[in-house]
Amino acid sequence: MSIVEVQELCKQYDPPKGVLAVDGVSFHIDKGEIFSLLGPNGAGKSTTISMLSCLLRPSGGDALVDGHSVVTDSQAVKEAIGVVPQDIALYPDMSARENLLFWGKMYGLAGAELHARVDEVLELITLVDRQKDRVEKFSGGMKRRVNIGVALLHKPRVLYLDEPTVGIDPQSRRSILDGILALRDQGMTILYTTHYMAEAQELSDRIGIVDHGKMIAVGTNEELVRSVGEEAHVELSVDHYLEGMVERWADVPGVTKAMIDEERAVLLVQDANEVLPRLFEAAAAAGSRITEVNVTEPNLEMVFLHLTGRALRE
Amino acid sequence: MGWAEGAPHNDPAVSRILAIAWKDLRSTMRNVPALAMMLVAPLALAALLGFAFGGGQSFSISATKVAVANADTGTAGVAENAGNVVVGVMKSPDLRDIITVGDKPSAAAARTSVDDGKSTTAVIIPADLSAAIFATSPTAPMAVVELYENPTQEIGGAITESIVGQALLGFNGARAAALAASGLATANGDGERAGKLAQQAAETYMRDGGAAAAVSVAQRAPRLPGGESTKDVGVTGTILAGMMIFFMFFGANNVARTIIDEDRAGTLPRLFTTPTSRHTILGGKYSSVFVTVTVQAVILLVAGRLIFSIDWGRLDAVAALTLVAAAVASGLALLVISLVRTPAQAGAIGAGVYLVLALVGGNFTGTAAAGGTYAQIQKLTPNGWLLQGWDAVMRGGGLADIGLNLLVPLLFAVAFFAVAALRFRKRYA
Amino acid sequence: MKRIWTLASKDFLETRRDRLALLFTVVMPLAFTAFFGLMFGGGSDRLPLAISSADHGAPATQLVSALARSGVVKTEMMTKDDAEKAVDDNKVAAALEIPAGFSAALAAGRPAELTLVSTAGSSGAQTVQTEVSALAGPLAAGERAAQAAVAVAGTPPGGDSGASAQDLKDAALLMARPLAAQSLAQPVATVRVVEAGTAAGQIPNGFVLSSPGMLVNFILFSLLTAGIALIQERRNFTLQRLMTTRVRRWELIAGKAVGMFALTFVQQIILIGAGQLLFGVDYLRDPAALLLMMVALSLFASTLGLLLAAVLSSEQAMIATTVIVSMSVAALSGAWFPLEITGPAFQFVGHLLPTAWILDGLRGIIVRGFGVADVLPAFGVALAWSAALFALAVWRFRLSD
Repeated sequence: MSIVEVQELCKQYDPPKGVLAVDGVSFHIDKGEIFSLLGPNGAGKSTTISMLSCLLRPSGGDALVDGHSVVTDSQAVKEAIGVVPQDIALYPDMSARENLLFWGKMYGLAGAELHARVDEVLELITLVDRQKDRVEKFSGGMKRRVNIGVALLHKPRVLYLDEPTVGIDPQSRRSILDGILALRDQGMTILYTTHYMAEAQELSDRIGIVDHGKMIAVGTNEELVRSVGEEAHVELSVDHYLEGMVERWADVPGVTKAMIDEERAVLLVQDANEVLPRLFEAAAAAGSRITEVNVTEPNLEMVFLHLTGRALRE
Repeated sequence: MGWAEGAPHNDPAVSRILAIAWKDLRSTMRNVPALAMMLVAPLALAALLGFAFGGGQSFSISATKVAVANADTGTAGVAENAGNVVVGVMKSPDLRDIITVGDKPSAAAARTSVDDGKSTTAVIIPADLSAAIFATSPTAPMAVVELYENPTQEIGGAITESIVGQALLGFNGARAAALAASGLATANGDGERAGKLAQQAAETYMRDGGAAAAVSVAQRAPRLPGGESTKDVGVTGTILAGMMIFFMFFGANNVARTIIDEDRAGTLPRLFTTPTSRHTILGGKYSSVFVTVTVQAVILLVAGRLIFSIDWGRLDAVAALTLVAAAVASGLALLVISLVRTPAQAGAIGAGVYLVLALVGGNFTGTAAAGGTYAQIQKLTPNGWLLQGWDAVMRGGGLADIGLNLLVPLLFAVAFFAVAALRFRKRYA
Repeated sequence: MKRIWTLASKDFLETRRDRLALLFTVVMPLAFTAFFGLMFGGGSDRLPLAISSADHGAPATQLVSALARSGVVKTEMMTKDDAEKAVDDNKVAAALEIPAGFSAALAAGRPAELTLVSTAGSSGAQTVQTEVSALAGPLAAGERAAQAAVAVAGTPPGGDSGASAQDLKDAALLMARPLAAQSLAQPVATVRVVEAGTAAGQIPNGFVLSSPGMLVNFILFSLLTAGIALIQERRNFTLQRLMTTRVRRWELIAGKAVGMFALTFVQQIILIGAGQLLFGVDYLRDPAALLLMMVALSLFASTLGLLLAAVLSSEQAMIATTVIVSMSVAALSGAWFPLEITGPAFQFVGHLLPTAWILDGLRGIIVRGFGVADVLPAFGVALAWSAALFALAVWRFRLSD
């Protein structure tokens, strides 16, 4: 049963000539799943989340959140969602607890219920000991945790997380990812955006890949990988004559695609074990020496590469 | 327990507005530069200016330093030396707080004393003063006492001129009495005694105190309609009222600016994702501004009462003026913020607008301009009306006396706020 | 040395491009100069004075007509209540109440009292009071002189007319008054005011007071722009980055100081030019002395600005401090009102600041024809202050937060 239903969502800034930041995106999120929007910076992820948060009005299409339209019933949508913005949106001169109390009131909580909920959230984000310290004194990871905690106060039906792990240390990232998985296990529905392929792969029940404002593929990790034909990814460096080699390798049986990426040859092959010896033979025949070989089994990175011809860079 | 149950949302909008106002107020209270600007600056400037003007009910001026060169040689047949009388008047104990007199041997020495900045004025009494004054002929030559003064210190010069002039008026009056007596005697057919009677009339005139203190001019503040008595307003009270309104503009600006700051920091967009409506959120920000400047004004009024013993006047009128002033400051600051895009612009354009308004409205000049064209120009500004209202209330006026002084600024406030609210709605809705 | 100039000219150019800075450095000071100048008597309007008289004696009538002829006040007769109301509404500078019995008191040789109703602190009212006293004095003297003459010379022989003693006395007074008045109109002793140095200087007016005052006030105010720029540079690490180049620390600080100096100096040139041309304030009597004062003011302002920027870390703190410091220093130095009208303690404190000395110097140049030698002490005070401020600034200067 889907709790978010996105239909042909469009956003054009400064119409009629402006950029089409989101171009007819459709997807749905089932109750209790983590759905990730994966794509490079500027692909339209944040714009999509802004429209789903009722911050931006769609230029076309609609989305139903918990059965309510973001266009016609934004109030009901806002009550159903918790939004964690990409940047820390907290009051730095107030303590963690003061921040949570304030935002709780903004979510309509009051009285004993508010205080109880704040205590629960502090427990959840493991900041009970530091709750009276001002947020401006916190480390980046701690601020991120408070930033997320704010969105949980009113027990939203859907939680939006917009790139919550950008620019923090690996340890904090781990704890945030674990927290998200724990929330999912308690039944929370989560919309997650990221440009980190590994995060999407680890967290998501289903993934939508976006590029240039368009949804180019949707599915589970396995479905997506299978869609590109389970191809392996071979990166080769040669001492000279790279361009000529790529042309030759493209003709080797078993190679489906060959291209140059940053002084290296990047090949998509059906079976690496079978093809690798042939690649070495071709190099030897051409008088080139292979200096480095890197083989990667199929993953989302490759799916993106396959669909767009570009790498999904961090 | 689970995190995905959904929660009831039934807290009324008013309590959310107050939550925003309370948050911003607390934020301001933790902001040292903002507090300095809102509270320390007006109090410090009021103290400084009060100190400059003696702090009490009237101006206190330091004594003018006067150098005197008396060359009067007296005149034959008269024991009295007019020059000495003039110097005696200047040195009289009554005038000790007003002028300090130093004797100089010559006119040149007295002038040098002024040129060197050691004295403000030099009084140079000519050799023929007694001769001119005690001359019996009606067409006596005129003696001229020279006042050599530093033109950058006009007030000291004017004071000296008034004292010397008063002393000379005594002589001239005596002479007038003598001439009148002589004229009367002649008309009465008593011509042969004219000279003696003239002498007696002059003496009578001098004995009665001459013109000295014959007319005194008492000064008092106007009574309010229906009021029987009035009280004088202390200088510090007038100054602090002006400074308070001026720095309320800055206080309001500080808080209004957080709309831009929060927009940039992402907390405003995040607020818009909560179920709290945009009207409630903007209403909360407007309330923050109003509440903060009201608190600022109350603190300043209490501090003025405690530190400077200012009697602000009747409580109801003071409260009304304070609230209207807070409304004006809030409306204006919100208008300024609604017209700018960056915090830097908010600071600079705000400061410019508030300075000009304070200048035109008379925040820095108090009631000094009363009566002139400037006093009418002041009424083009809301703060000009408010200052006049404060003056009336400090003199003992009540609500009935300041109706227009409340209504006009309130209309300004409503207009400012309406334009600001329209612009914010356009920007954020 | 070249690096200092490069740094300074960069700052200078940046500020010049800032339109907001133009508002603060040029437009506002000129507006303020005009306002304060007009307030302190630059205009020639007569002050409105309401008069209510309950006395119909000759001295009262004479006083009213003398005031009506005055070049200082513009009189208007009204009832007592209307007069009070007019003062309350700021429509008149003051209201003069001539009480019943005013003339009788003068005739009887008792002190006669007039009441002047005005708002406290009104400068117009002070002027009106001076004028009323100045006109009432000779009037009283004339009346007293006539009374004394009649008392001594007696009344004309009544003879057979059957007139009462009082009638005879009144007749004598009618004769004596013009005689006394005539005598007073041709006094034998008068005061002549000679203003020191006016042969070399200008007759003071409102602008002579306000133009140098606002110059000092707004030169101090422009520390705001320069100080904030410095704080921003520290914030966005350009200062630290500059230190990775071959620029030395003291060169950097000196460059900043020279930039502020140049900025305030150009501001002074504009404001003094406007003062000279628009407001007719004769700054250019002694260009060398003027130059010395301009250098003194810019030195003090730039080193003070440098110190503030060195000590403060946020823009908001800079705005608050500059507003408070510049307004207090300006007020203490006599930029808003002449120090002459303040108490002795205030004058003493004021003259601890170089700006009070500089203002005295500037006004001396304009009004008294001061030369270089006369303004050297002021220059010395400013130099000593600037050296101390610069040393403090160098000591406290931080390149990052």
